[in-house]
Amino acid sequence: MKILEFLKDKENLIAFDNSTTINRADVSIKNNSLTFKKGNEFFVFLDNYDAYNELEFNFHSQQKIKLFIIVYQNKSIKMDYSFNLDDSVELEVFTNFVSRRKTNNISNFIYNLKENSSLKLLNAITFNGNLDLNCTVNLDGEKSEATIDLLNIGGFSNKHKVRQDVNHQSKYTESYINNWLISLDNSVLDYSVSGFIEKGKEFSKCFQSNKGIMLSDSSQIAVEPKLYIDEYNVEAGHGAAIGQIDELQLYYLLSRGLSETEAKSLIISGYTLPFIDKISDEDIRRHVTSQSSRLIRRKA
Amino acid sequence: MTLEIKDLFVSIENNLILNGLNLKVNGGETHAIMGPNGTGKSTLAQVCMGHPSYKVESGDILLDGESILDKSVDERSRLGIFLAMQNPIEVPGVTNFDFIKAAIQTRMKKDEHLRIGRFILKFEKASQDLKMGQGLAHRFLNQGFSGGEKKRNEILQMKMLNPAFAFLDEIDSGLDVDALKLVGQNVTELKSQDLGLILITHYQRLLDYITPDYVHIMINGKIVKTGNLELIKRIDQEGYDWVKKELGIEDEDKKPYSLGTCPSKH
Repeated sequence: MKILEFLKDKENLIAFDNSTTINRADVSIKNNSLTFKKGNEFFVFLDNYDAYNELEFNFHSQQKIKLFIIVYQNKSIKMDYSFNLDDSVELEVFTNFVSRRKTNNISNFIYNLKENSSLKLLNAITFNGNLDLNCTVNLDGEKSEATIDLLNIGGFSNKHKVRQDVNHQSKYTESYINNWLISLDNSVLDYSVSGFIEKGKEFSKCFQSNKGIMLSDSSQIAVEPKLYIDEYNVEAGHGAAIGQIDELQLYYLLSRGLSETEAKSLIISGYTLPFIDKISDEDIRRHVTSQSSRLIRRKA
Repeated sequence: MTLEIKDLFVSIENNLILNGLNLKVNGGETHAIMGPNGTGKSTLAQVCMGHPSYKVESGDILLDGESILDKSVDERSRLGIFLAMQNPIEVPGVTNFDFIKAAIQTRMKKDEHLRIGRFILKFEKASQDLKMGQGLAHRFLNQGFSGGEKKRNEILQMKMLNPAFAFLDEIDSGLDVDALKLVGQNVTELKSQDLGLILITHYQRLLDYITPDYVHIMINGKIVKTGNLELIKRIDQEGYDWVKKELGIEDEDKKPYSLGTCPSKH
């Protein structure tokens, strides 16, 4: 197994490939199911792993856990991931797919939250290949809440199709989705973002924000923000703002001598900063920054 | 160095804004350009900087005898032209420090390296000189700055970049008396044989702090009168009507052209 350099020395590392499992953490692993015991920060590395096509993560009541998941692949992979949060769990999940050659990735993530549980999800997508990502959050318990922040930088002729569904299945549930999208070259980012609030699930809040920058004439971003609400007593809002880089900002930076590539790169790094700043682990933050600036500087 | 603008005609969206403008600025000289609204003063500064929205119909802009019309905005900046903008742009997520560092690095030769310690000291000194307060380096570029702070930040950038020719486009607008004095002092301290200054202003008050060598009056897209400090006093007292009368200039039925819109309530 080739563990990425910056992960090698991490405590609480759990790494899989199809023949080996490394478990440096207090986590019980049975077949495709991981149950977290002691500790509050874990790193999960999947090296071309698709032995079971399914991984399940279970968290007990009152646990407070940060989970960093890096999926490395040089072949096409299809995987399902499910996360089950008992009552009053505080879970932060970071996910990132890394590919050194063009591959396909089909991933389904399902998060099930019981009462008073909270999920903070950070998706950094700088994947070289075609991606079909489905992310479903089920707010099953009262007062459960989810914040989803996603940065997607698409390059080359890659197509990233992402579906985010949040199901408010109890009262007093809250969800907040913030997507930062950047498309380069001939890439296509296709997003479907939906919030569902059933009748009777009152006092719930559901908000979606989507921002997109297209850095080439042939790149595409399509976002469909949708709210399906069958209850009056809720707060909700959605929006999508997609365009090209701000010409005034670009002119200002050029007028101080920065080349167009440098200026665009600086503007984009400023645009991605609110996402990058949310990554609590310094090594992972550096990893995402380097991935995104490599992609952007190549074409900005 | 010399910046020479020769018989320059400039339009934007088929509206002729500059109408055969001539101006020569030598290093060490300070020129003030005054004139009624919408007469093309800011256009002159933007065209020299290379703003892509303006079209040069004819004429030339020469830097030490070489035309810069075919140069891009960033190339002009690196050649030594600086524009302190009337409305400095906010760039969220980009810190002042990173921005100015990048701007200085673009001026360095390939084998040169930025001496970061020296850079920090210079930045801090400039920041103190302009009373920009602690933490400027890590604040995002112009974001959340007051009008006065934005203008002072333009001067800070000018101090850091050492241009050969600097256009200060209504640098006095949005500044209170103390800030105006501070900006005036800082700009005056920068005066040297290596810097040609072009001040665009409506009011005498800026010129109380930065003394110009030449005062030009611009009407209908060209310089119609050049004089000295006496000219400023008369403009301040009598406006521009006497100039128009004296030179037989008819008012053009032209509205000022704006590149953008201001948010307003209807």
